[in-house]
Amino acid sequence: MDIIYVLISVSFVLALGFLGAFIWSVKSGQQNDLVTPGMRILMDEIKSDSEKK
Amino acid sequence: MNHQSKITLEKAQCFHCGEVCQEEPIIFDQKDFCCSGCQKVYELLHDKDLMDYYTCDVNPGISPSTHQFEFLDSPQFRNRLITFANNEFSKLTFYLPSIHCRSCLYLLENLHKLNENVIKSQLNFGKKELTVWFKEKDLSIGQLANLLSKIGYEPLIQSEDEATSKRNNVFVDKKLLLKLGIAGFCTGNIMLFSFPEYLGLDDPKLAVWFGYLNLFLGSISVFYAASDYFSNVWSHLKLKKLTIEAPVLLGIVVGYSRSAYEIISHHGAGYMDSVTGLIFFLLVGKWFQQKSFDFLSFNRNYTSYFPMSVSKWINKSEIQIPLAELKVGDRLLIRNQEIIPADSILRKGSGKLDYSFVTGESDFIEIKEGNSLFAGGRHTGEMIEIEVIKDLQHSQLTQLWEQNSFKNPLYKTENWENFANKTGMYFTILLFTLAISVGVYWGIVNPKIWSNAVVSVLIIACPCALAISYPFALGHGMRWLSKFNLYFKNTQSLERFANIDTIVFDKTGTLTLHKEQSPKIHFTRGLLPEEWNVLYSLSLQSTHPLSRQLKKYIEQLGYSERVFISNFKELTAKGLQGKWNSTLYQIGSPKWLGVPKEEPEDYFHSESRIYIKIGDEFIGFMDFPWENREGIEALLHNLRMNYELYLLSGDKKQAAGPLSDWFPGESHIHFEMSPMEKMEFIQSLQKSGKKVLMVGDGLNDAGALREASVGIAVSENHLQFTPASDAILNGKNVKYLAKYLTFAQFGMKVIKYSFALSVIYNLFGLSFAVQGTLSPIVAAILMPVNSLSMLLIATLGMNFKGRKMQNLIDVSSLRPNN
Repeated sequence: MDIIYVLISVSFVLALGFLGAFIWSVKSGQQNDLVTPGMRILMDEIKSDSEKK
Repeated sequence: MNHQSKITLEKAQCFHCGEVCQEEPIIFDQKDFCCSGCQKVYELLHDKDLMDYYTCDVNPGISPSTHQFEFLDSPQFRNRLITFANNEFSKLTFYLPSIHCRSCLYLLENLHKLNENVIKSQLNFGKKELTVWFKEKDLSIGQLANLLSKIGYEPLIQSEDEATSKRNNVFVDKKLLLKLGIAGFCTGNIMLFSFPEYLGLDDPKLAVWFGYLNLFLGSISVFYAASDYFSNVWSHLKLKKLTIEAPVLLGIVVGYSRSAYEIISHHGAGYMDSVTGLIFFLLVGKWFQQKSFDFLSFNRNYTSYFPMSVSKWINKSEIQIPLAELKVGDRLLIRNQEIIPADSILRKGSGKLDYSFVTGESDFIEIKEGNSLFAGGRHTGEMIEIEVIKDLQHSQLTQLWEQNSFKNPLYKTENWENFANKTGMYFTILLFTLAISVGVYWGIVNPKIWSNAVVSVLIIACPCALAISYPFALGHGMRWLSKFNLYFKNTQSLERFANIDTIVFDKTGTLTLHKEQSPKIHFTRGLLPEEWNVLYSLSLQSTHPLSRQLKKYIEQLGYSERVFISNFKELTAKGLQGKWNSTLYQIGSPKWLGVPKEEPEDYFHSESRIYIKIGDEFIGFMDFPWENREGIEALLHNLRMNYELYLLSGDKKQAAGPLSDWFPGESHIHFEMSPMEKMEFIQSLQKSGKKVLMVGDGLNDAGALREASVGIAVSENHLQFTPASDAILNGKNVKYLAKYLTFAQFGMKVIKYSFALSVIYNLFGLSFAVQGTLSPIVAAILMPVNSLSMLLIATLGMNFKGRKMQNLIDVSSLRPNN
């Protein structure tokens, strides 16, 4: 049964890691704009297309 | 003859902006352009190898403006705009309202290719904001703004208040998102750690361990994630008010304290999962409701209507100065279509002033040297020179803003009780009565379980359903309505919108179109003066709106001689005819005149066309812009069955036209109303207990929009200035107002039904709670199920209705962000 202590600690630490990642993403402004980056990806395609030509 | 008229119909479309070229197109690189501005932009993009701009979207361009932005280099503006600067580069953010498609993104993020002093540019499409890193030594802010406006993206410099409120919004959003994430984390983990307890774990050591972990996470959730509830309830209590948040917070606090006590005293596991789950759902609702339309401005005052800079005439030369530096005695130059920035006297030149936006009067006013001019008028004609006699703060126009309601930003919310808060009040009283009676009962019958029973009652009966279904139903409502081009400022205004019983319309610009444009003429030959006179005399005899417009137009041409017409006839839905000098003159529909309909319906819906035939000769046709907005009659017809309608106008009485038929009586139509009178009219309506919706468009409606329970500003496009309001509606969609109202009312119905459902849930839970037998597991199941079902009902209900609405509303008039 003692293994459950280890498992719970590990799962908690893992979850804390994800929480940390989320907080970092909010603080660094990644959640500020959820529209433009999606469009920007398509722009890159246009650029590389014209470079091929 | 027909052949000739066909040529005029085949109009070239501008390759850059897609606009139909009114005059002979400029041909460059085998492509048509409507103006030299568009052609220049094309040339520039062509030279800099940015032709992909045209592949992202069809005719993506915007016709560039010629506005000059040198005034931005003054320290006053520099300090406001530059967010960061060092020796190498400076950084600033411009708001560019004309951003509309993927091509804009492409062009604006390639700004460094257009000017080598731009280091990098980054676009936020949703907010229409462009952040630019640039070398300020070599490229001034003014030059950068000029570059942007040259390629069609004129920056809109916002007032300081607007900019700060936007920055605050970002901050608030971020904080809420953080809280939401942390609340979700706590909830998920607490649920996980509570599992063993429910499954009957016997290891007491482990249970204690889990208990403390839960207590730790629960504390974070309650004191950090739910901290807003504490401060909100506290500030309302100070005002002696109980809102829906009070019983919710009570449930949270009691649940948390009880759990903490159980955990610390090793009595059990407590209700920590229910409490944190509730907080999580509440925050999800809050976050969902937060969605705001950042690209729109709901809080503009008169200063945003004026230009940021004016051309001052000093020592025989012209300089640009910021509006704030304007002084009494300054000489200013006002060009065609510019706005008079302050009360002044005309010194040189003449022209016409259009005060319709400020006073609501739609007629132009002729001005001559020596006349006094009032701030806000739009000048048409040659360049004029004016002398300022009053600064803007003391001019006629700004008096309206000295009213109390304009100084208090919370004016409306403070004077308005919404359903949730009204219910919240009764709910709290009921809850306390129940808790006390349960406590007293068990105190007598079985003192051991009285505290348990009271706590359970307080936890289970917390009105979380309302707190959750509210933001979801209204949040979805706002989202759907924005798809239908009605943008609400927040969910509270949407709720007020659902509850109105009286609608007050402004006339000019709201029910009728703003400008009285002259018709577009497509004649095969010029008409002789006597022929104009005959047409004039014909049109005089009819009251049809188009005849009146024709009459007005011919008068403007300078023909107003009445001639004797014989055999006059007006044929409904066909046209007019009459004989003069034994020639038959006919004005009317093409079918009636036997004109083959050679063209598909290529003209816009905002115009109506009349054909003219003299004798056997088909002369051509004229396109008149609509006087009333399309579909207004049907709208008024629908609305007047359920709402009390009023019409207010700054115009003279004659201008009413056929619109007056749709209002129930003389007392419901008021003309020559000053902006102040409009506001007072709304006040008196509201004093008599009416819940008023005001629909208006101009500065002259600003007071009324502010005063009414809900103020909707009508706007032709998102670039146009709209006075402060609760919602902004695209002018083309005014005709759907009745449908919007139905939709909002449906939203409130959803909330009320889900509230009834949650009461049933609560009664079920309460039946355990009053007996003191509510086990944590029942609470843990009941509460999330309750919250989730509220969320589901609100989402499904609103989406179902929204989809149905989508079919009823002309989707073709819905253009993105327009």
